[in-house]
Amino acid sequence: MTTRPTDETSSIYDLGYRSYEGVRLGRRYAVLALYRESLRAAFGLGRSTAAKIAPAILIGIALFPALIQLILGAILPIGEIELVRHDDYYSGIKFVMALYVGVVAPDIVGRDQRTRSLTLYFTRAITRYDYALGKLAAMTTAMLAITLVPQLLLFVGNALATDQFGDFIRENWDELPPIFGSALLGSWLIAAIGTLIAAQTPQRAFATVGIIVAFILPIPIAAILVEQIDAGWADYAVYLSPLDLVDGLTYWLFGTAPPASDSLIALTDFSTATFAGVAVVVALAASALLVRRYIRVQA
Amino acid sequence: MPVFATNGLSKHYPSVRALDELTLAIEPGIVGLVGANGAGKSTLIKLLLGLIQPTEGDATVLGFDIRTQGLQLRQYVGYMPEHDCLPPEMNATEFVAHMAQISGLPAAASRERASEALRHAGLFEARYRSIAGYSTGMKQRAKLAQALVHDPKLVFLDEPTNGLDPAGRDDMLDLIRRTGHEMGITIVMATHLLGEIERTCDQLIVIDAGRLLHQGSVADFTAATETLEVEVTGDATLLAARLTAAGIDATVEGQRIFVRPEGGHDEAGMFDLIRDGVVDLGLGLVRVQQRRHTLEDLFRIDSSDAADGTSDA
Repeated sequence: MTTRPTDETSSIYDLGYRSYEGVRLGRRYAVLALYRESLRAAFGLGRSTAAKIAPAILIGIALFPALIQLILGAILPIGEIELVRHDDYYSGIKFVMALYVGVVAPDIVGRDQRTRSLTLYFTRAITRYDYALGKLAAMTTAMLAITLVPQLLLFVGNALATDQFGDFIRENWDELPPIFGSALLGSWLIAAIGTLIAAQTPQRAFATVGIIVAFILPIPIAAILVEQIDAGWADYAVYLSPLDLVDGLTYWLFGTAPPASDSLIALTDFSTATFAGVAVVVALAASALLVRRYIRVQA
Repeated sequence: MPVFATNGLSKHYPSVRALDELTLAIEPGIVGLVGANGAGKSTLIKLLLGLIQPTEGDATVLGFDIRTQGLQLRQYVGYMPEHDCLPPEMNATEFVAHMAQISGLPAAASRERASEALRHAGLFEARYRSIAGYSTGMKQRAKLAQALVHDPKLVFLDEPTNGLDPAGRDDMLDLIRRTGHEMGITIVMATHLLGEIERTCDQLIVIDAGRLLHQGSVADFTAATETLEVEVTGDATLLAARLTAAGIDATVEGQRIFVRPEGGHDEAGMFDLIRDGVVDLGLGLVRVQQRRHTLEDLFRIDSSDAADGTSDA
């Protein structure tokens, strides 16, 4: 359709500037908006396709074992199958979790330092505390995509594998509190450490490498110390590894024992409850340091 | 009521007095904040945004106390930093709308306001393009839009024409003038370019080494003085000598003579003396006009005063 040239009665209307008379929702709303936008950034939403690829692939890998179980359960109702169990799901995807937080955390916290938009946040209706905690909450939530989601898929998969879906849910609902508990506490721990490291540098590559090293390197170090050194003190090295803490707290919440054959946790005589305790302490400390970092950072 | 007022406002760091005993009151309008690098401009802006606590003194901005009501006041204040601060991978509409939400505006209103602010800043056509593809001028406009998106009552602009070519600078200054006058938003514009202040601002704050050198209206300052500026061709000293002989204070600067009326000479008599002198000496008269102050004068005088003051202390 073409626009007909109009005669001299046509004119350009200058709408003028209109001021805003509506509500201003203040700090709480502003922090929620920050949280929402950070979460979108974590998955590359509203960004280029390239930004979506890495998180999507890693989520795919983390969900893979649970999906297999779900699909098998749905098409072959052969009674209970247990390819993977709830309590050692995380130990199977350790490296995926490290890579995921290494990819996502620099997007959530490092980006504003890199683009120097941090100044714009701090000159608005939020405080530096709000910013740090909003970002931590976003990273924790992003972690749930590879912790809580596969656990829930696994639960549904197990239910589908039995003939009576409803009966399974009724009989096994008590698995839900440890599913949620381990996912939330584990996600918080990993997110707090990941964002703390990412917040130290605007350089994305450094942050990613730093995070992956911080999660992966303690695993062999703890293993060597615990397995090779026959002294009581060496066993404490197991607490150095955040991902082993996640394993330990998960066994504790599910009330199961770690497999004696291939678990570092089983090699130590420590109660699995101590892993949950150390995890809470480390997560709290990392969260506090993250807040401190943002109170001091130049912006 | 003043838009903001400070009383003995000071900010001391262990090694430096970034701001010292600043007392001023600013009325609505466009305010130029002038000072050399490190004079304390940024410290003053940070204090007025409630981002840092003063060592001494107090201040209110839009009626809010900067010590205790930083969050509330920042809902009504905009800030455009000097440095680049835009995420290149986002488009301008998304980013500006997001910033509106961080200022507390609801999501739907934020999108509406983002379009409004980008239209005002002259980026309406490019508003859905990724910021990565923006020119320096477009980025400055987007930065201005994010500072205006939540309809603030007061906006701080830090070196808004930084990095712009002459045409871009003219556009930006025009935009600032319109923002201040048509939208009724008080603007504090930090700059070290005095020409920009003369063209854009109606009030002026001059700080140097953390101290207030001058505060007042630009018009008052650049108002005509009593001094006459006489420009001639030929030897200006001859005319000056003749005027001095007639009891008139005349100083020569190149081809120009600055004539201050003193004693029994009225203005008309002085013009006659100048005319007769020029004719008798065979000089060419280029112009006779009342001299105006320029902001450069203020800086020259006050900086030398301040330098004297510090060396005395």
